[in-house]
Amino acid sequence: MAETVRIIINDVEYEVPAGMNLVDAAKWYAGEDIPVFCHHPKLEPVGMCRMCLVEMGSIEKDRATGQVLLDDQGQPKVRWFPKLQTACTSKVSDGLVIRTRTEQVTDARENVLEFLLTSHPLDCPICQKGGECPLQNLTMRHGPGTSRMVFTDKMQLDKRVPLGDLIFLDEERCIQCARCIRFQSEIVGDDLLAFHERGRTLQIISNSTPEFDSYFSGNTTDICPVGALLTADYHYSARPWEVAEVPSICPHCPVGCNTSLSTRLDRDFGGRAMIKRVMPRQNEQVNEIWICDKGRFGHYFTRDSSRLCDPLVRDGSLTPKTWADAQLAAAAALKAASGDVAAIAGVGMSNEDLFALRQLLAGLGSDRLGAWPPTHTGADIVAQVGVGQDTNLSTLGRGDVVIVIASDLEEEAPIWRLRLKQARDRGAYLIVMNARRTRLDDFATETIHYETGQAAQALTSLWGAPMENTAKAAISTARHLIIVAGAEGLTLAGHRSLMQTAANLLIETGHVGKANNGLLGVFPGANFMGLHYLGYTPEATLDIARKPPKALIVAQADLLADDPAAAEWLSQVETIINLDLFEASGLNALAQVVLPIQSFAERDGSFVNGERRVQRFYTAQGPMGQALPAWQVLQRLGEHLGQGRAKGSAAAVMQDITRAVPVFANAGYARLAQVERQFPDVGGDDLYYGGTAYANKGGLGVQIPTAADSGDVPAPAPAAAVETPKPRGRLLVVPTIRLYNRERTFLPSTLVHPRIPEPYAEINSADAKKLGIHDGDLVTITVENIPALRVRAHVNGGAPKGTVILPRHLSDTAAPLAITVGEVSKA
Amino acid sequence: MPLTDKKYADRIQTAFAKYPDKRSAVMPLLYLAQEEYGWVSPEGIAEVAELCEMDPTQVKSIAGFYTMYSEHPKGKYWLQVCTDLCCALGGADQFYEELKQELGVDDGGTTEDGLFTVEHVMCLAACDKPPMLQCNFHYMENLNMDKMRAWIAEKRAEAAKAKK
Amino acid sequence: MQHILLRGRDIPDIWKFDVYTRNGGYDGLKKAIGMKPSEVIDVVKASNLRGRGGAGFPTGLKWSFIPQNEPVKYVAVNADESETGTFKDREIMETNPHQLIEGAMICAWAIQATAVYIYLRGEFWDIAHALDERIGEARRAGFVGENVLGSGWSCNVYTHLGAGAYICGEESALLNSLEGKLGQPRVRPPFPAQKGGGLYGEPTVVNNVETLTNVPWIIMNGADAYKQIGTEQSPGTKIFCVSGHVNKPGNYELPLGITFRELLYDHAGGVPGGRAMKAILPSGGSGPIIRVTDEVLDTKLTYEDLGKIGSILGSASVIVMDETVDITWVAAKVTKFFKHESCGKCTPCREGTYWLDKVLDRIMANQAQPGDIELIDDVAKNMQGITLCALGDFAANPIIHTIKNFREDFMQHMATAAVPADADQRKPTRPGVAAATTVPGRLEGKRDTATTGTPARRDKEIET
Ligand SMILES: Cc1cc2nc3c(=O)[nH]c(=O)nc-3n(C[C@H](O)[C@H](O)[C@H](O)COP(=O)(O)O)c2cc1C
Ligand code: SF4
Ligand code: FES
Repeated sequence: MAETVRIIINDVEYEVPAGMNLVDAAKWYAGEDIPVFCHHPKLEPVGMCRMCLVEMGSIEKDRATGQVLLDDQGQPKVRWFPKLQTACTSKVSDGLVIRTRTEQVTDARENVLEFLLTSHPLDCPICQKGGECPLQNLTMRHGPGTSRMVFTDKMQLDKRVPLGDLIFLDEERCIQCARCIRFQSEIVGDDLLAFHERGRTLQIISNSTPEFDSYFSGNTTDICPVGALLTADYHYSARPWEVAEVPSICPHCPVGCNTSLSTRLDRDFGGRAMIKRVMPRQNEQVNEIWICDKGRFGHYFTRDSSRLCDPLVRDGSLTPKTWADAQLAAAAALKAASGDVAAIAGVGMSNEDLFALRQLLAGLGSDRLGAWPPTHTGADIVAQVGVGQDTNLSTLGRGDVVIVIASDLEEEAPIWRLRLKQARDRGAYLIVMNARRTRLDDFATETIHYETGQAAQALTSLWGAPMENTAKAAISTARHLIIVAGAEGLTLAGHRSLMQTAANLLIETGHVGKANNGLLGVFPGANFMGLHYLGYTPEATLDIARKPPKALIVAQADLLADDPAAAEWLSQVETIINLDLFEASGLNALAQVVLPIQSFAERDGSFVNGERRVQRFYTAQGPMGQALPAWQVLQRLGEHLGQGRAKGSAAAVMQDITRAVPVFANAGYARLAQVERQFPDVGGDDLYYGGTAYANKGGLGVQIPTAADSGDVPAPAPAAAVETPKPRGRLLVVPTIRLYNRERTFLPSTLVHPRIPEPYAEINSADAKKLGIHDGDLVTITVENIPALRVRAHVNGGAPKGTVILPRHLSDTAAPLAITVGEVSKA
Repeated sequence: MPLTDKKYADRIQTAFAKYPDKRSAVMPLLYLAQEEYGWVSPEGIAEVAELCEMDPTQVKSIAGFYTMYSEHPKGKYWLQVCTDLCCALGGADQFYEELKQELGVDDGGTTEDGLFTVEHVMCLAACDKPPMLQCNFHYMENLNMDKMRAWIAEKRAEAAKAKK
Repeated sequence: MQHILLRGRDIPDIWKFDVYTRNGGYDGLKKAIGMKPSEVIDVVKASNLRGRGGAGFPTGLKWSFIPQNEPVKYVAVNADESETGTFKDREIMETNPHQLIEGAMICAWAIQATAVYIYLRGEFWDIAHALDERIGEARRAGFVGENVLGSGWSCNVYTHLGAGAYICGEESALLNSLEGKLGQPRVRPPFPAQKGGGLYGEPTVVNNVETLTNVPWIIMNGADAYKQIGTEQSPGTKIFCVSGHVNKPGNYELPLGITFRELLYDHAGGVPGGRAMKAILPSGGSGPIIRVTDEVLDTKLTYEDLGKIGSILGSASVIVMDETVDITWVAAKVTKFFKHESCGKCTPCREGTYWLDKVLDRIMANQAQPGDIELIDDVAKNMQGITLCALGDFAANPIIHTIKNFREDFMQHMATAAVPADADQRKPTRPGVAAATTVPGRLEGKRDTATTGTPARRDKEIET
């Protein structure tokens, strides 16, 4: 443990870590809540609101001997400061003495509250924050019962100022604590909010174009200690005491943010429980107390009219059938395939679903389990040398090195990007490597731009460079080393080569099998690691495409929308059984049986996040039509095939998993639901820190150890040399990922539509000149075997020469799945 | 981008040369923007933001904090009359009332011909020479209404001449 | 007596470089550069020169706080001069600018600074541009810039214009403003002199214009000579800015320790029309107001003596009010100033000035409500001592002291207000002053003070 000091709070002595913030220390060690507004344990102290005033002094010591001086009563003598001091700007040091309950302190608190209320509208009865509002709570405790500031012209300001499309500001309610401004600049690094004017006319503004365009804007509404900042979806939508908080896990990316779904039985949803808002749930190892706006606003697909509600069987055309009939039809088709079956499962499937699907296939004598999308690989390598157990990105700092390679982290895993930005601020050496500029470059210690497709080579030469360079020096003396690797600009084979190269570097430098060291894959979706642990691989997917089976089960995988080239081999499959969330799926045109499954919101289950943490989510929202959890659909199908009885609950399925799959041995539901006290203490009964629903009552999850964690460090393996596609006079088309896109699991969040980019491609200015293309022109991109795409050309310096950066999922015409060669022409 | 026109190049250069970082030049550059546009206009803010490599939000924030940056168009002569304590002891309040009447505008108003904007301000460090005002950042001290009337007439005449 | 600071009064063109140098200009800098930096600090320490920006902090001591081993250090010259009634730095810069540059350079040498920034209030537009030329002259002569006087030490001097914000005279707000940030004060510690607390995080001395302009004289003539002037605890001369109801308002550079009577009658010519002097604000709008009595008039203007009569010397901006002045009006004027200048960062000042201003407005409009005097007195006292910077205290002072010293002026307004005669005798009790101000049903009875126990919601956790 770090060095400790002794401090006295209200006459009781405590031993606390040296240098800790006094407010935090008092709360954590002494259970003493010093009221605060501007202070937030995740932000730098500013001492603005003056709510945290305490009497402060220090124990007097003899200068010469260092002996504590005693008074007549034999008590240590205290030298008191003449004025009250702000606790939030004080750090604990040996001999610090504070009093928090004296009349002077109480008076000061009352005075500050009275001041705050002078221009506050006191519209608690119609305020969304009412019921979970620090100002309200503190007013209850310290506030004046009546107001002495009575004027008919008390502050009248705009009550609904849009700060961008997603956040609204109520100017009257704002208490100028600057938490939102500081969050944006300190935590996010986007200086998109600021104060305007001064004195009592101080107001929050955003003046960027578009306004407040940050992927993290929603967090400002959580840390706002009053109802001044509210999200566009929750504003005037429900009250805190009406909603039930259901622990969940964000289904959108590998970070696996812990969330809390506030649900209410809602008229607009036929009286069923409905998600009214998504809030972060504290998990300091995973997402701390933040989520990105995709996680917050990306839940609308769960109850969208595009959801598939009935089982369908092809009877000429697809026709609604009862579950029994549909199951029979599916079972018959599977039997008819006599073992020539395969399955492809998407990254949104839960572990329970995946296990049930694998059992079903095993029962049919097949182990062809494909993972979707087949863009990323190397989960097996991560299972060996992934980041060590107890890795916590918030503890990275000086002396540590993080390499982010072949990923646009802001777009692919926003909360990791947020946490790495802070690691950098704490002194970590952040190396960002990609073929092009990405947002993370802004926060990098060093950026390296390599030739498109040459990620593995770039990493090899970084470390193997004959010349000394700063990056190499930092790596060779690194206390901790983490490599965060994505697949941008790489083929599947190229990605494997990169992952192996990264693993080799980590093994050779001894940075595996230990906390804060190892490999982190920037995989798509919420459960890519779960797919791996349950036996699904992208390589198997390619194999299935090469040798299509008679019968194929596709589970929550949007094959055609993701990969326009898939139509070709899918046409050779006799029977497709499609388990889907949505009705209008391209695949349904080909499927014989279509079975409706439930989204993460309507059922319980578990995912394994990118850091290999098994995390549990709970049933939150009312059901959609006849949809069932996929594991249940699959196990009932198994019943029809004589494979034994379906389990009664997801928990029971997990029970089976713990027995059948050793890495899950420790991941029973009870264990996953365990919580422990987390620092900072921002959840629960907290009165002031002002998180709205941070309390983690759903569990912190369990991290699966890597092979290296268990002492089994693999030897470096040769990374296969992989050729990048050769442009031969044409251009390299590099598909990339944008956080906001038109995927079916995001498109129903209409609120965010203004922020989804129009379909575009970035073209290098030299190439554009040659082709006679100007910034803003409509262009056609043609790639062999797939329909041509029409997009807007951005000639903005974003694309390296010879490449076209083409974000996937922005238009209804699918972009290629992986890097390829193509042509661009003016449309 | 007018601010990057040649005519300001030297002054922008001087501003940047003073400080170890670009952000510090935001105040001098805001003055330039105000000079160019007559007020700190949205275009001016955007240009300063780009020059100083700041988000426009931060530039707007700076412009809003200080009273000498005007976020609204002003008359050709921006008259800031000190009506703070010392000047008021020397008759500034009455002087200001009369000046407003003379020009036919309220506090903060601009005359119809677009020539004069009047505004009361806090102490300008000329407390021994009341009444006084600041006209486009230059001081006019020991004033009285006779002097003002003459001055206003002169400016009006100049403007009329310029029009022809 | 010869002027130390306002030498333009003795030598009309001393603002000109050649006139200044012909009259011993920059000899102080030459002498200082011949000394070790620490020796320069010692001389300034020994002179007992105190900061002229208001707080009166010993200048040499301030310089000695600068850590020696930091490679980058700064001097920030505070030329923001925005306190009501203060106009001395302006005259120094207009009439004797080279002496300021010289003083700043001596300070820079003493702390081995790498650059000097002169922060002028935005309204000093013309002064700043003239000062730029003076700096250019000094640079060309080798007194500023690269390799100063062949010493191997380089230090540039720059001007920076504020843009209309009194708070930027507060030293940490000044530094923020220089850095292109919002001109709001910073939390201290770290202090400007410390690593992390100064300009761009580097150790920085912030001194007032007048303070630094004293320095060349002190270096040339020695600490003892300086201490010959003024009193023991307040040595040297001081520029008194006299404004308001006197016949000859203006700046007077006089030894500290002269009396109000000498200053206001002998020098400033007394009150026009022979009227009686009613009140003095000895330190601009922010210091406590005093009622003029014979005892007051015979009080010496020193840091120590003004404390004895319940006020401060501050920046010595002496505002005189004759018998015709309604002190309630003074309180209202000054409050408007602070309300306008509050940066808004901290709660008590932002809300307190807004509230005080509102109540004073209604008092001035003769629409006072019962207890308004007690109300503003209480509000002002609640602001005192708990704000982030001293502006909050400055804003409370005029209220508290005008009420304390001139209550009858306030009573005039109460008398004409439609309120019961005894209203302002009522003690303000919390909550609420008058029944009429109670918001029905709001939070009544829910209040629970920390002195009597812990709030219900946290009972279980406070057992420790
Ligand atoms: C609100 C406020 C305004 C101030 N304004 C000025 C000012 O205009 N000029 C000045 O020299 N000091 C001003 N000061 C004092 C400075 O903070 C600082 O103490 C001073 O510049 C130090 O210089 P000195 O030691 O030479 O006096 C102000 C202080 C406060 C709290
Ligand atoms: S006291 Fe006033 S001026 Fe000073 S920090 Fe607080 S709000 Fe700003
Ligand atoms: S001043 Fe300490 S919490 Fe706001």
